[in-house]
Amino acid sequence: MSREAYQIPTSQGNAPGAGTTLSRTFDLEGATMNYICGDCGFKFALRRSDTIRCKECGCRILYKERTKRMVQFEAR
Amino acid sequence: MAPSSGRRAPSAAELEERNTIGINKETVTNTTSDAYPNNYANEEHAWDKEDFRRTFKVQFHQNDQFEAQFSLIGVDASIANAFRRIMIAEIPSLSIETVFVNNNTSVIQDEVLAHRLGLIPFTGGKKGLRDFMGFWRKPGPEEDAYATTFDTNTVSLKLAAKCTRNKDAPKDSRDPKVLYDNAHIYARDIVFEPLGGQAKWFSGEDTIRPVNPDILIAKMRPGQEIDIEMHMHKGFGWDHAKYSPVATASYRLMPRITILRPILGADAEKFASCFTPGVIGLEKVTRQEAKTKGSGYEGHEGELKAVVKDPMRDTVSREALRHPEFEGKVKLGRRKDHFIFSIESAGQWESDELFIESVKTLKKKCGVLRSQVTNMVQTF
Repeated sequence: MSREAYQIPTSQGNAPGAGTTLSRTFDLEGATMNYICGDCGFKFALRRSDTIRCKECGCRILYKERTKRMVQFEAR
Repeated sequence: MAPSSGRRAPSAAELEERNTIGINKETVTNTTSDAYPNNYANEEHAWDKEDFRRTFKVQFHQNDQFEAQFSLIGVDASIANAFRRIMIAEIPSLSIETVFVNNNTSVIQDEVLAHRLGLIPFTGGKKGLRDFMGFWRKPGPEEDAYATTFDTNTVSLKLAAKCTRNKDAPKDSRDPKVLYDNAHIYARDIVFEPLGGQAKWFSGEDTIRPVNPDILIAKMRPGQEIDIEMHMHKGFGWDHAKYSPVATASYRLMPRITILRPILGADAEKFASCFTPGVIGLEKVTRQEAKTKGSGYEGHEGELKAVVKDPMRDTVSREALRHPEFEGKVKLGRRKDHFIFSIESAGQWESDELFIESVKTLKKKCGVLRSQVTNMVQTF
């Protein structure tokens, strides 16, 4: 499949994995997610439709926040 | 044994020869153990308890809290090696086993951080560690993850730190430790949290703490944070090296240096420099020696001669064998039954206690073997 032909799976489409209630609510509301700027370290929220760009300095490299969940490791 | 029984007793020189590993220019000879019956024709070599009691010796050379050096004289290599292996792998100690990472935004990855934490040696109240603390069992597939976790087998620790800018730092400072608070996280920042009955055993100076408080765990910059809980369990060195109670436990054989013909004058000084300092001493040839015919000292009264002072310090580098002027004058070797142990504790046990514990463990294993052998004899 070429890059142009690829369709992002949507809730309306018949792509597997899409169409669950969870993803539908996310799509409708455009769930927000926190990002950290790679340049200035500014923390801000972005929606699905927003351009990937820092609101402070315009840097195009953004990082996701680390999970808030506990992660367990063996000390080996 | 009496000669009438057809047995002969070997001479002292013969026994010493058998007991010495030959270290030659390019070869090592006579390395195998021969302390068992029927190895030499017409000689009695059955193991004898009284004989062992008479010849076996333990000599301590150094006995500090965490470092001991001592000699075991008169045992077979298999026994000495068993003690060494038991000390490394079969004496239990307490170590961090599980790491629960709530937050870690430092540059060091969770897995690496967990591994580093596991290797930090801890110590605490000896009685509590040996008697109160038991072994943790992994819960079965049907059981809850913490169904087997109790205060008698798990120690809980916490490490929480957040790096911030130091407002009071001088303007021209460049040192991160001055510029920021909590820039470096050390082992001493780990806090012990007593559970249940643990407060009784591990409080005051008996608290569970790192042996070396200055071990650097991670470095951070402002905005980074580490928030970790840890569970410690007791384990054995055969499971993971972090449980090994020793830093080193090794032995070497006692070096034996025999000067066959006199080494005199400038040669003696050169000879001494071939060995570790302190191994070879220089002494003046006495009038008595110079008078003795056939000693090799005739007419050399007052000159310096090389004598073996302290062979234990030698590293057996064989340097003396490289020089033609010493050819045929010196013989190097090692004593087969003299083991110089060097034990360095990681901190949870005293170094001499470790050896006693290894003897205890070997005794216990022999007890198991004994009942199995008895059982075998009865079955077949």
